[in-house]
Amino acid sequence: MIGLKALRESTKRVDQKKRRAASGIRPGLKIRTKLLLLVVSLLAIPWMGYESVREMERFLLEGQEQALELTTQGISSLLGNRSDLFDPGVGVPEVIGRTSRPLPTEIEQSLSIDAAASGWVSAIGELTNFTGFGLFECGPEYQPDSLAVRHGVAIDTEQFFAYFEIDDDIIIFRDPDLVSLNNSDQLRMTVQASSGAVSRYLLTTTEPGRISIYLMKDNWREAISGDAVREVAGVLDLTDRGYVIKLRIPRNLLGVGARLKFEIVDVDDIGSRVVSRVISTEPDPSQLGIGRVRLATPELTKLIQPLYLSEANITIWDRGYRLRAQVGSIFPPAREGFDLDSEEFAWSFPNVESAITRFYEWILRSPARGFQDMPIDSSQEDYRLLGRVLTEGEPKSERRRYGDAKLIVTAAPIWAQGSIDGAVLIKQSGNKLLSLQYRTLQRFTLLFLGVFLFLSVAILVFSTRLTYRVGRLQRETEQAATPEGRLLKDQIRPGARSSDELGSLTRSISGLLHNLGQYTRYLEKLPDTLAHELHNPLNVVNSSLENLQYHHRELADDKHLQRARNGVGRLRSIITSLTEAASLKEALSREQDERFDLAALIDGCVEGYQAVNPKHRIVSTRVAGPMIIEGVPDRLAQMLDKLIDNAVQFGADQGLIVVSLRRNADGIELTVANDGATLPVEIVDRLFDPMVSRARDARKTHLGLGLYIVRLVAEFHNGTVVARNRAGDRGVEVVVSLPQARIAPR
Amino acid sequence: MATVIAVVEDDRDQRENYVDVLTAHGYDVRAYADKPSAEAGFERELPDLALLDIMLGEDMDGGFDLCMELRKLSPTLPVIFLTARNSDADRISSQRMTAWDYITKPVSLEFLVARVHALLRISEQLQHRSPESSVFSVGDLELDENSMLVHWQGQPVSLTLTEFWIIESLTRNPGHVKSYEALSDVTRQGLVERNTINGYIRRIRNKFRELDSTFDRIQTVHGTGYKWERDRE
Repeated sequence: MIGLKALRESTKRVDQKKRRAASGIRPGLKIRTKLLLLVVSLLAIPWMGYESVREMERFLLEGQEQALELTTQGISSLLGNRSDLFDPGVGVPEVIGRTSRPLPTEIEQSLSIDAAASGWVSAIGELTNFTGFGLFECGPEYQPDSLAVRHGVAIDTEQFFAYFEIDDDIIIFRDPDLVSLNNSDQLRMTVQASSGAVSRYLLTTTEPGRISIYLMKDNWREAISGDAVREVAGVLDLTDRGYVIKLRIPRNLLGVGARLKFEIVDVDDIGSRVVSRVISTEPDPSQLGIGRVRLATPELTKLIQPLYLSEANITIWDRGYRLRAQVGSIFPPAREGFDLDSEEFAWSFPNVESAITRFYEWILRSPARGFQDMPIDSSQEDYRLLGRVLTEGEPKSERRRYGDAKLIVTAAPIWAQGSIDGAVLIKQSGNKLLSLQYRTLQRFTLLFLGVFLFLSVAILVFSTRLTYRVGRLQRETEQAATPEGRLLKDQIRPGARSSDELGSLTRSISGLLHNLGQYTRYLEKLPDTLAHELHNPLNVVNSSLENLQYHHRELADDKHLQRARNGVGRLRSIITSLTEAASLKEALSREQDERFDLAALIDGCVEGYQAVNPKHRIVSTRVAGPMIIEGVPDRLAQMLDKLIDNAVQFGADQGLIVVSLRRNADGIELTVANDGATLPVEIVDRLFDPMVSRARDARKTHLGLGLYIVRLVAEFHNGTVVARNRAGDRGVEVVVSLPQARIAPR
Repeated sequence: MATVIAVVEDDRDQRENYVDVLTAHGYDVRAYADKPSAEAGFERELPDLALLDIMLGEDMDGGFDLCMELRKLSPTLPVIFLTARNSDADRISSQRMTAWDYITKPVSLEFLVARVHALLRISEQLQHRSPESSVFSVGDLELDENSMLVHWQGQPVSLTLTEFWIIESLTRNPGHVKSYEALSDVTRQGLVERNTINGYIRRIRNKFRELDSTFDRIQTVHGTGYKWERDRE
């Protein structure tokens, strides 16, 4: 019996462990979530890519800057010791205007003042549109249709030609009756000689044709003298959009190093004759006063012309901060190059294309925006840099940012016999690199998105499969045993053939279950084996006692012999109950269902029990009429025997035992209730396991097999059994539930 | 000449006890410890009755083998099996061993002697065909108390001694319920559980149903016992 106690103890421990294990999955991250989080870490790749592209950009900009510095220094060396080029007398005056615009066109053939406007245009070349730039003295209400100015200048050896195309909706000619001159559409020309003396010329007319030109006071209202200036000739021709002014000025009138400024004055109201707008060729006269003298040296220009750099503006300055030559522009010729290369998407994903474009715009800043931010005029910074170069005599370079625009500026002094003659200044846009970077990022983003999508899907599929397999293993493992720890199957088939670790785990668990199954079967067979082994010595004792009694008749009433026989009887009943439980499972498998009246069976049994157990009152309460079910009546009677045995053993003396049979929604409910002590909490769950008993009385034999037999029979009938304390702790009731299917159809 | 009884039992103590009690009752006992010695003994001299333990040493079915041997030598020789396991009894019935009786251990020597006595008497009856047979019939059942022969609808039913006694007890008063206690006494085995009685009844029913699938004479009175249903006509 020591062995059995140990067995009970170990069963108890195993049960506790099983209960803990059955607590299920704890809250927290699941495998799939974890793997997907891992995928998120792939986002470090585009960050890395972005960083490396940025790094590359810095590197390239540096390279570009160095190249530009070299070019600057090359040009400065080229122009070194060529003081002749910087001779103030060499230069030609330049029309005051935007510094970034080309110098006057040099022409071979002198232009006639009366020639057609088209002849002038073809000779001068491209006209500069001043509309919107260098526009002053008009408010935000300015309308380009109302007043627009295009102009071009050209020079030959003797003359300076200026040409103006003016769009004007209302042309107001001079009223000869008015003394004041500032009350009609007019052209004003300011000339600053190299000496600094300023002359103001007003060009106005009362009708199309020759223009009268007067030298004016600085209020632009009164002429210094009533005589018109004869050296300068001008003609006004009307056009369908406004008018055209052709102007011819002798170069000697301007002199060397002179500076010119033109202003188009517009008067629109014939009544008030008030100046409504002035368009000036000088960008910022308030800053520069009348502006610096700019001299163009054609030979310098010719020298640097072949040094054309893409998106670069090369300028040569003299000591007096006068621009002597320039070539190239920092603006690209056209912006087509920055359109997205999205043709490959266009045919396959027409709808996706715009979305992708928007996505790119969102992720990356389009380089096209860089050009919008690029300032037209950055002469302020240029002068500052030039000043440093010319005073310090060292090459300088700097990088400027205007919003998204990048500008690399390098400057180097031009030396001549130990003194600084001038400086070379090169400005180059860094946005070409930006567009390169943009395209690289674009390809990289596409590539990354592909890889990211592929990896995400792959990991999702993989993790779903893994989760499914783990879940299946868990399900199989949980289904292999009941919550109470009884083994239902001793192997796991699904997933066991897989060659990976999970398959190996499945096989391990399957092997474990198999061993556990074998052990369980051994335990189940143990009572039977035990009984068999006990039978033989018991038989020896029994037969010896009988022989003793037979040969010694006088001992028949010997009390010791009687006690020995009682002991044998008890041993025998123990063995019988052991074998009964052990063989029941096997015996049940051979039973066949039959139809019978369960109510009658219970009535009959209860009657019999009452006769055998006079110490208790046993009654049955049930619904009226027969209850025909399909099952094994002998086994159900055997089950009832055990239930009554249990109730009798643990019920109070003279207590009431109630056997009730009811039908409910789920089927049949058979309850045996007794008065008396309640169930000890620690064995409630295991009461129906073999070898579990709440008996404490050593003199009574109770192996805890009775309720185990009840469970076996109930389960054989697809039913369940539970034990619980009665309401008010008056005792215990055991409820056997049989399913609806057991009720025989009528 | 004294009646010869062969006892085959591997446990010396049990064997000696059987020998002692049988010798005391005047039988000539030949005791064997294992199958080879028993076979040799049967070759030399055929006993009048054999008492066989089923499990002999390591040989799980040694007793069954010996029973077959004896059946070859004599079809009418009474054989009593001694079994330590209930399941053996089931096997006997399933294997259709033509044993006359089986007793589960622990064996009550008093009942053992009674059984031996009864079987020898029946064997005698079979061999000598005494005209004074005491056949009585209930419906389709014919029952010869002396020769332990039972016929159902004219066909012989092969029953063990215990089964015969149960049928005899049930049919003695057809329609009357025989309680478990009464049936327990009839089996002459000492303490008998209800479940054991149920087992006997089940095997008896099975034997009848092999001859007549509609056999339903033996009725269960749940909680009380069994009764032999009276014929309806």
